[in-house]
Amino acid sequence: MSAPFLLIVIIGLAIAAWFTARARAAAFAPPTDGAQRPHSRPGQHGWYTALWVAIPALIVAAAWNVASPALVTRAVLAEPAAASIPADPLERGAILAETRALATGRVAAAFHHQAPVLAPAYAAARLRYGLMGLALAIVAGLAGGAYAYSRVRPDFRARTPVERLVMALLLIASLIAILTTIGIVASLLFESLRFFAKVSIVEFLFGLHWSPQTAMRADQVGASGTFGAVPLFWGTIFIGAIIAMIVAIPLGLMSAIFLTQYATPTVRRWVKPLLEVLAGVPSVVYGYFAALTIAPAIRTAGLAMGISSASSESALAAGLVMGVMIIPFVSSMADDSLAAVPQSMRDGSLAMGATQSETIRKVLVPAALPGIVGGVLLAVSRAIGETMIVVMAAGLAANLTANPFASVTTVTTQIVQLLTGDQEFDSAKTLAAFALGLVLFVVTLLLNIVALRVVKKYREAYE
Amino acid sequence: MSDLVVLPDRAPTEWRGTAMRRRIARRYAAERRFRALGLLAVLVSAGFLAFLLVAMLGEGARGFRQTELSLTIDFPAAHLPLTAQAVAREPRRAMIGVDLEGAVANAAERQYGAGGARLLSDGAWLTARDAILRDPDVLGRSITLWVPAATSIDIAAKDAGEPAAEAAYAKLSGRGLVRTVFAWHFLTSADSTDPTLVGIWGALKGSLLTMAVTLLLAFPIGVLSALYLEEYAPKNRWTDLIEVSINNLAAVPSIIFGLLGLAVFLQTFHLPRSAPLVGGITLALMTMPVIVIAGRNAIKGVPPSIRDAALGIGASRVQVVFHHVLPLALPGILTGTIIGMARALGETAPLLMIGMRAFVATPPGGFTDPSSALPVQIFLWSDEVSAGFIEKTSAAIVVLLAVLMAMNGVAIYLRNKFERRW
Repeated sequence: MSAPFLLIVIIGLAIAAWFTARARAAAFAPPTDGAQRPHSRPGQHGWYTALWVAIPALIVAAAWNVASPALVTRAVLAEPAAASIPADPLERGAILAETRALATGRVAAAFHHQAPVLAPAYAAARLRYGLMGLALAIVAGLAGGAYAYSRVRPDFRARTPVERLVMALLLIASLIAILTTIGIVASLLFESLRFFAKVSIVEFLFGLHWSPQTAMRADQVGASGTFGAVPLFWGTIFIGAIIAMIVAIPLGLMSAIFLTQYATPTVRRWVKPLLEVLAGVPSVVYGYFAALTIAPAIRTAGLAMGISSASSESALAAGLVMGVMIIPFVSSMADDSLAAVPQSMRDGSLAMGATQSETIRKVLVPAALPGIVGGVLLAVSRAIGETMIVVMAAGLAANLTANPFASVTTVTTQIVQLLTGDQEFDSAKTLAAFALGLVLFVVTLLLNIVALRVVKKYREAYE
Repeated sequence: MSDLVVLPDRAPTEWRGTAMRRRIARRYAAERRFRALGLLAVLVSAGFLAFLLVAMLGEGARGFRQTELSLTIDFPAAHLPLTAQAVAREPRRAMIGVDLEGAVANAAERQYGAGGARLLSDGAWLTARDAILRDPDVLGRSITLWVPAATSIDIAAKDAGEPAAEAAYAKLSGRGLVRTVFAWHFLTSADSTDPTLVGIWGALKGSLLTMAVTLLLAFPIGVLSALYLEEYAPKNRWTDLIEVSINNLAAVPSIIFGLLGLAVFLQTFHLPRSAPLVGGITLALMTMPVIVIAGRNAIKGVPPSIRDAALGIGASRVQVVFHHVLPLALPGILTGTIIGMARALGETAPLLMIGMRAFVATPPGGFTDPSSALPVQIFLWSDEVSAGFIEKTSAAIVVLLAVLMAMNGVAIYLRNKFERRW
């Protein structure tokens, strides 16, 4: 019996229970003078009963779901037709898997000749056990429902257990965030430790040579691959923290200044969302744009300027486009910080005869600087974690160069590169991706913590 | 105090003097320059956006058009082992083993001379097959069909082809044998190796299934967490831990979530690779913090007087929240949810990590089928060498941007319609 169908049946039963219990509770005699009023609302009695139907039924269904495949397999193997199946567990497993696929209609033809013979028996057993599971779930639900229904009385406090369950649900939902964090840290740490068992952590963090290719044969040159990640760290910083910021900081800051200090409210109302569209465009679109339009243009420009090594995967192309993507982040953080500077400071400066630009440059920006710096740090953390732009527009060659026309590679590019090949999961190559992920995670986390602390301190200074 | 310094006699500032006037002029010029610089920054940013959109739309619009060639197929002369009756009886079975491809190629060679088959798309025979399935009686006569042209002709028709293809196109168009039509199949079919046959529907459906999983998980969890943290959570170390995790998760790079999905869902739980189910769970973990943060802001916006009033007439704390606070905060929560979902829809890197980059030529049928997703499809097509894929990639981007714009439009509408100032 398919899981969705089972679920629908259980939900249907629960809804029916809700209505019957509520109807019964609603029929309680209205309180006369002196008589005690019913403790809970009819709807709360309904919920109590519905939960008593749904939870036992779901538990039984889940348990059955775990147990039934083994039961079905046993039933199929007990068939006389199954006597010809070889005892070798590997082959037996293959035949059974194919039988399952045939019976569920996922494949039309089978390789093993036993499979089509067994398929009808398999389908029959599945149906039999599925119906059995359905019946068990319904019985469990009805039993629970009957118990709860028998307790629907005016003095029964149905509200208390229902609300306790709701609170438990709320708590569980908010614990999922902690679970996710633990999952991220655990999976990165665990795989990284396995990587560092193969490659020394010192070589990884300080090595200058990155070539993760592991050879097919043992006697090939560079058979083991070298994992010195410094060129990757440099490439990431070069693209995300230097080139992108050279674009994003002036444009973002000046846009914020213009929109908050000079523009009329109408202009501000229209232009600000327009700039925010830049942050809403998916990074894969930026990546495509960088690779298709910007990178060839920069290569041509580089060649025209006499730089013969200008690459079509230049750091400049990826960094420029990433900078544009980051503009709205810088701009909105600067916007907030400028708005938080007390009006009295600006009025004071203007009253002393400073022009508006002098006020902005000498009073507002210095006063808002911590907030702006915090915003820039957040933007850097976003830029170094950005993946698609660099995957599509930056190169794969791990060069340690400061030439913006040359090709460099980044941490995120290499993670994608290492994990999208056909590699077994245990090789140093795939594990290296997790080590890079761990570095990325730690660095972005630190940047965010520092940035938030800076911003918070600064806010307190003016409050 | 001994600093009784005798001030030198200061003459009043000569505001009308040349030096002062020049100085003021300089300061005003600086003011104008600064202002112009600000305007320039805004214009450069907006200009880049406009450039990006225009480039994508221009290129993408070509991807939605398709060049077709007129082809006359003489079925009796092709001697196909097919009869109208067989097709009418059992269409699928009758077609097995029939060399329709060869028949179409022969027809093209006959009509357009040697090399004529190269003018047609590799999938031209599919048009012939569909024509037969629609009306089996065409097998008894000669018909003229519009079949998709090869990539080189298609590009030449859009004024960007190589000289040889341009010449061939000019010749064909002089004889009235080509036409350009809207490529409906781009919206209805899935990926293919031939750029003239690709469609976006497979990837779009994969994205929709993924988003459905994401929404079903992230929305309830996000809303419940937000309610807990805003309304019930005691001020203690656990609550702080939850808040810190949520704020950090919102800032973790998306590729890290992909690594999580790979290590946990694929390697540990052995869920199917490249399936919308796994993609949806991974993106849900990423979207959940966004919904929590938006939800908390919306819940904070509900004035305390409403809670006090409800409590005052005897509602329980659960009733206060679910009957009063949640409905009032819902528009804000929904706006935040849509914005978070729009971000998840454009997300590529986590999906690459969990293997959603396979070549999938049929639209997924369910949550566990191998599938592609819209942004991943864009990435895959951008990697193709064939020139025909450039405009298809742009066309896919247009589809993606259109979906995103629609989602954001709904969010803005909701905000304007239901936003309440207390």
